[in-house]
Amino acid sequence: MPLSAIKTVAKAQNGVGAFILQCKRLDFHYSNWAGSSRGMNAFIRSQLPVFAKNNPQIEIRVSPRGNKHPVIIGHYINGKTKPICVRNMTPEGVREKTELLRDASGEKLKRVNKPVTSLNESVRGIWSPFHGAKIQI
Amino acid sequence: MKRIRISRCGAQLMGAQAPRRPICPHAAQRQDVAPHHHRIQLRWASSLMAAARKPNEIEIDPAEEAAEESSIDLSEALTASSTAKPPQPPPETLPSPHPSRALKSAKLAALRSRLSLPPRFPLQTLARTLVHPSADPNPHFNNGSMSILGANLLGYYTTEHLLCNYPRLPMSVVFAAQYAYIGPKALATIASEWGIEAAAEPGGEVDPGLLQFKRARSGDEDFPSALKEVKAPWKWNVTTTHKIVSSDEFGSTKARPDPQQLTGQPVPIEEAAQSFVRALIGSLYLHLGSPLVKRFYRDHFLSRHLDLNKLFDFRTPTRDLSRLCAREGFEAPVARLISETGRLSRHPVFVVGVYSGKDKLGEGSGSSLDEARIRAAAAALKGWYLYKPLEVTVPSSLEGEVDTSKWKPNMVDCGEVIV
Repeated sequence: MPLSAIKTVAKAQNGVGAFILQCKRLDFHYSNWAGSSRGMNAFIRSQLPVFAKNNPQIEIRVSPRGNKHPVIIGHYINGKTKPICVRNMTPEGVREKTELLRDASGEKLKRVNKPVTSLNESVRGIWSPFHGAKIQI
Repeated sequence: MKRIRISRCGAQLMGAQAPRRPICPHAAQRQDVAPHHHRIQLRWASSLMAAARKPNEIEIDPAEEAAEESSIDLSEALTASSTAKPPQPPPETLPSPHPSRALKSAKLAALRSRLSLPPRFPLQTLARTLVHPSADPNPHFNNGSMSILGANLLGYYTTEHLLCNYPRLPMSVVFAAQYAYIGPKALATIASEWGIEAAAEPGGEVDPGLLQFKRARSGDEDFPSALKEVKAPWKWNVTTTHKIVSSDEFGSTKARPDPQQLTGQPVPIEEAAQSFVRALIGSLYLHLGSPLVKRFYRDHFLSRHLDLNKLFDFRTPTRDLSRLCAREGFEAPVARLISETGRLSRHPVFVVGVYSGKDKLGEGSGSSLDEARIRAAAAALKGWYLYKPLEVTVPSSLEGEVDTSKWKPNMVDCGEVIV
């Protein structure tokens, strides 16, 4: 065979065609007794239905967990989880944390130094000393 | 204490036994949903269907009689008689979740909106696409048939995209590109990127939003032979044409296993995930029609990044190039040195161009003259094979359209060079 081909798998580019929200599940754990989950309980009662309606891609589970601080756990498509303790927070604070979990990608937090990361080659190409106008010394 | 069931004794009085489960996932729904489609309406209007429905309605009686049997049965029968619906068997006895439970699954609803599917795509069908034949052998409830349709659609859309956009692509590269877009590994990856979770064990009581299949454990003896990778010995009559015609779309030596072959056999999770993705495409086609499926395919499959440039693996590019030039009637290719540096140093760099007459076909750089020449020939061949026409109309874009004036015939190339 003069020519053979290399088997690979095409790489995903989330957002180029379709966008898939990376947060797939949010678990809300609250306590009816503990005072630290007062804000959480208010959030669940008043704002969570609206949040669930606005974000139908996310499966939402609400479950009581006695004698513990309230916690929100985000489950992501890459298999990771991200728990945030929301003790003594106001309903607004809990909403902010919920939105933070919704928008997170599930990846570990990384420092991004480069302004652009791309799979595509540079259009201009790599500079070559052998091409272009000859330099007269 | 076990008693004789009166219902069983008096069975001859009650007519035909109703099927244990409705024959179609929608039949459970249809009883309380007004038919909206004219064809369904016609079917329901016929007296034959009404007669067929009757046994379902008298089904309540045996449930009440069965109430004597045990306390578990009692509670179930009470709920059944209070809602006046045919009694459902306990979910543990079913091989896969009952279609009516799909509406209550949060996972399914989340999956549907995660994939931006319209609400008219029913959740029951989405639940059915998640049931692999290894979990439920009944072809009315598993995704076997839909995955066959989906596999053919995926193959069709990918092939037409590749062949129309890159008419000169060699066949082995076409196979590799198909494998990269819709091969088994790609589909399993796509399923995991859609956030599909697998059930530990299939069953009627499992959440219908989970992928249901019988798991193959490592070291399983009864691994299905249809899935085993067998390295077939070389045969003179397995040609490229044979691969195109008689095997799957990836040019492997044998065809894809029939989904119904895998009923009841343990399979790896990749196999189940692939069949889900294929079945989803098939069911989208049936429910939403081809334009929406094409859009879905473009968004989720074609949008993935694949560098066709990197799929080529030439053995003798210089010979191929001279054969190509001879075939196309160009002048024989000549390699010329464009520039060089450090010929006598530890890291020399040569830039070589391949010329046919006055036209430069390709250029490559390398640390030896030969390396640079071979790279230049490979670049020239890639330039030829990766030719892309500017305007392309794929055959499926005119499907079902009356006006065919938009059709522009595609370029058909005579193929790769044969050395």
